[in-house]
Amino acid sequence: MNAFEYAAPTTKEQAVGLLADRWGDAEVLAGGTDLLSLMKDYLPTPKRVVNIKDIKELQGIKYSSATGLRLGALATIEELLSNAAVKKEYPALAQAAEGVSSPQIRNAGTIGGDLCQRPRCWYFRSGLGYFPKDDGGKDLIPTGQNEYHAILGNSGPAYFVHPSSLAPALIALDAKARIFGSAGWREVRVEEFFVTPNNDGDRETVLKSNEILGEIILPPAKGIRSATYEVRQKEALDWPLAAAAVALKMSGNTVQSARVVLGHVAPVPWRSQAAEQALGGKAIDENTASEAGSAAVNGARPLSKNGYKVQLARVAAKRALLQAAQGGA
Amino acid sequence: MATILTPQATGKLVGKRVRRREDPRLITGTATYVDDIQKPGMHHACIVRSPYAAARIKGINAQAALALPGVAAVFTGKDVAALGPVPCGASLPGLRVPHHHILAQDRVYFTGHPVAVVVATDRYIARDAADLVEVDYEELPAVAAPEKALAPGAPAVHPEWPDNTAFTYHQEGGDVNKAFAEAEVIVKQRIISQRLIPTAMETRGVVAEWQPGDKALTVYSSSQIPHLLRSLLAGMLGLPENRLRVVVPEVGGGFGSKLNVYAEEALMGFVAMKIGKPVKWIESRRENFLCTIHGRGHVDYYEIAAKKDGTILGLKLKLIQDLGAYHQLLTPAIPTLSVLMMPGLYRFKNILADIVGVFTNCVPTDAYRGAGRPEATHGIERMVDMLAAELKMDPAEIRLKNFPQPDEFPFATATGLSYDSGDYEAPLRRALELVDYPRLRQEQAEARQQGRLMGIGLSTYGEVSAFGPSPATPAGGWESATVKIDPAGKVTVLTGASPHGQGEETTFAQIAADELGVDLEDVIVLHGDTAVVQYGIGTFGSRATAVGGPAVYYAIQKLKEKIQKFGALLLESAEVTFTNGNCVCNRNGKSVTLAQVAAASYRAMKLPPGEEPGLQVTYFWEPPNFTFPFGAHIAVTEVDRETGRVSILRYVAVDDCGNIINPLLVDGQVHGGVAQGMGQALYEQAVYDNNGQLLSGELTDYAIPKAGMMPWLETGHTITPSPVNPLGVKGVGEAGTIGASPALVNSVVDALSPLGVRHIDMPMLPEKIWQLLQQGGQA
Repeated sequence: MNAFEYAAPTTKEQAVGLLADRWGDAEVLAGGTDLLSLMKDYLPTPKRVVNIKDIKELQGIKYSSATGLRLGALATIEELLSNAAVKKEYPALAQAAEGVSSPQIRNAGTIGGDLCQRPRCWYFRSGLGYFPKDDGGKDLIPTGQNEYHAILGNSGPAYFVHPSSLAPALIALDAKARIFGSAGWREVRVEEFFVTPNNDGDRETVLKSNEILGEIILPPAKGIRSATYEVRQKEALDWPLAAAAVALKMSGNTVQSARVVLGHVAPVPWRSQAAEQALGGKAIDENTASEAGSAAVNGARPLSKNGYKVQLARVAAKRALLQAAQGGA
Repeated sequence: MATILTPQATGKLVGKRVRRREDPRLITGTATYVDDIQKPGMHHACIVRSPYAAARIKGINAQAALALPGVAAVFTGKDVAALGPVPCGASLPGLRVPHHHILAQDRVYFTGHPVAVVVATDRYIARDAADLVEVDYEELPAVAAPEKALAPGAPAVHPEWPDNTAFTYHQEGGDVNKAFAEAEVIVKQRIISQRLIPTAMETRGVVAEWQPGDKALTVYSSSQIPHLLRSLLAGMLGLPENRLRVVVPEVGGGFGSKLNVYAEEALMGFVAMKIGKPVKWIESRRENFLCTIHGRGHVDYYEIAAKKDGTILGLKLKLIQDLGAYHQLLTPAIPTLSVLMMPGLYRFKNILADIVGVFTNCVPTDAYRGAGRPEATHGIERMVDMLAAELKMDPAEIRLKNFPQPDEFPFATATGLSYDSGDYEAPLRRALELVDYPRLRQEQAEARQQGRLMGIGLSTYGEVSAFGPSPATPAGGWESATVKIDPAGKVTVLTGASPHGQGEETTFAQIAADELGVDLEDVIVLHGDTAVVQYGIGTFGSRATAVGGPAVYYAIQKLKEKIQKFGALLLESAEVTFTNGNCVCNRNGKSVTLAQVAAASYRAMKLPPGEEPGLQVTYFWEPPNFTFPFGAHIAVTEVDRETGRVSILRYVAVDDCGNIINPLLVDGQVHGGVAQGMGQALYEQAVYDNNGQLLSGELTDYAIPKAGMMPWLETGHTITPSPVNPLGVKGVGEAGTIGASPALVNSVVDALSPLGVRHIDMPMLPEKIWQLLQQGGQA
């Protein structure tokens, strides 16, 4: 990595004051599990690294049955995983956290960092940018080594998949992200936190270069059954091939309303309203779950080598639904 | 001939589960690796590498780099044009050998090709300065896959050889045309052994130090072959070999990737001599993936001919070897090893093999754990399974039908080898027993009834090991040992093999302690420093114990004769026996200890007639043949029908590596070997894009198996001693890797066989399995 200036502010105000007006000049460091490996590969080469880990206000996890769950962006994945209220009330989130391995990464990696991870796309990681092109200016990925790329939201120019493990569960559970900048706090639904970049200078979230993700707020989950199911090639130290998080509001045995979110299938976490509608008023069984799974991948357009991911996403949604119906809160 | 399981201890220590003496320093972090070496005034090097797989270098401007404070020098291709080349030790008729400069001259041939070296007072300045070196490239078309490189009109990797063919090689034995004419069944299959990245935990590293007063260079390198490296490096640098010392400190894994001589080793020697300061270069993980040799890289076309009763008649192979852009030390020789092992453990005598060695714009392939033999074993074991499926025979039955019997050894193969000893049924029967095969097949039938995809896969592997007789190897095939007893009676063994994790500091001490009747603690084993150890060959090809071990054994036998002579002198008796560390007079039972004998031998008041003072013997042992370990692995798997994911339910490995010196270490070798074979079967592949960019360029994209992914390994052993050496050992370093990949693929193919699946290429990713499920009409 290149030499850089290092700052360790202790307040959020100082932190945003240290950030830059454009992307690339400064980077935010929290757990460092992604940023440091990126910097070692000279992908970002920031002039300044702003370590926000000492900002107490952005740490910790709090739960109250009246107001719900508040996750400090700096809380670690391990804190999330070992929180009893999360396990009991928000199983989809706990199960998503469980998928983040190894213990070392769970201990260092933060919730905010998980949401702000850069793409795992191997073209991107090899320094070819978001939108690698051949000599003729044609996108390389649609006909290239795209076995791990997007099957949805992939009409270009972005084909990578968003790597966040927690985002699908947070979206299913209707979480909000609170963002701090020089003008103070602003709030967006986690669902709207992610954007597909169109230019090389863009990022994958609505964060501006001088803002930080401060906290995540989840509404109370009484009466919600939720689950996350990940399809993985390897149990450890890898990202899922496809994942689904679901949250079901039940009325007796039938679904009153549902939220179904796929992960690792599109440049953003992918909410499927078609799947949600398919479930309304139905009891969850192998058949309805399977139909909802198929609805979830409606409109999928696999690239040359990733057709299998359509099947994996379908199965992930089905199994998450069955899991939520059986267990859940 | 075979005895079953539980190795019996043959001595006080040999045969026992003695814990590794290497481990305390390794697990307490007190071992010294190359990167731990610090020298006064040491500088650091960073290498500027090509971002293109093929390009012309139009110019290099190092001014900005040189202007950075702390930068001592920048060297480019023209500075080292007269040095080298990076050696290819293999020779084949008609082999085309590109001149492999230690820095690119006017053209680069693979992504990561070294173009310049920056030297600075610290590592970070060197790295920053490397970014300031401006290289003007004109990108050229590249080709990164061997079959594409052979296609008409493909870009030429080396313009002088537009067909991209480095060599062709033909070998046949018996009468393969007759075998195929008489065949009742012929099965054909294209089988891929994908490119793998060896991924040693410690990347390569070099420290070079020049002593101008002595005109002597010391090179510390993470290598498997210190002496061969010294000889070849001396040639590359134009130094007299006796003024070059190679030191191999602790090595964090090699797996064949450090059985080589690399450009950077010569380059650091050159830099140290040029700047007059010690210099260190430590390879980054990305450099390791881009620039250290890869393994495998086969596209194989097999045909097997048989009778309806399952008797195999013959085998044909067209082998396309992805060589990469250059020949590293043994690159072109590796596929010839595959051909040697083509017959596997089977009796048939008719073979025909054609190799095409293909240049591609990729880093060279070379020896990686198994080196040619896993590819061959994978091929024959897949073909035998496909044949069994075609004939609706049980895969165990077809194997048992085709093994030579124990009384047929030494067994001459169609490829000209003489298998030393074997009882091939024994490990297979033991493995079948361990899994309770009939019941397992019953369980499988029940699982299939329930719609589950459960598979049982066998592999009965053989390998050629313990390289080897000198006439059959590119360098010498012997190994050396010096055994010396100091005046106080303590023992030092210097082995020319350069163990780097295999545990010979323990096993050689076990042999020496038993033979000399001393405690294990009284023996130390030294290796890896050419200034300390007599010339040696090194550790690779499962040879250190099987060739280096006998050298230790024979050195001690000669030493014992001398001990007896000195003992006779001290006891004033003509009839003396050396036993349990004492010389005993056969007549009156009086004795002297080894320490007393040692002291007398150095004090030298009296010498036995014709003897020199001191107790030290050096022995170079030339083996009469290779050894041929074998075994049987069984993998039980289940495929998730909806996701294509493979779970390993059981894994049984029964290996026969001859006599066992330390069962604990043998188990460790099998475990590690199986993990690497499993990696190839299920996870790992080096992926280059069409332009020759390595996409699987870091550990997150290159999927080596992790501890948590390993199944419980059930291991067993049969013991068929090798007649090739006095220890009866065969070698076990590569066995697990060789046996594992076919067992796993056969198992998954068996699981999917109800859907009509006949073959799966590695790695068996969910994507491929899904494709097959699609083709089978299932989703």
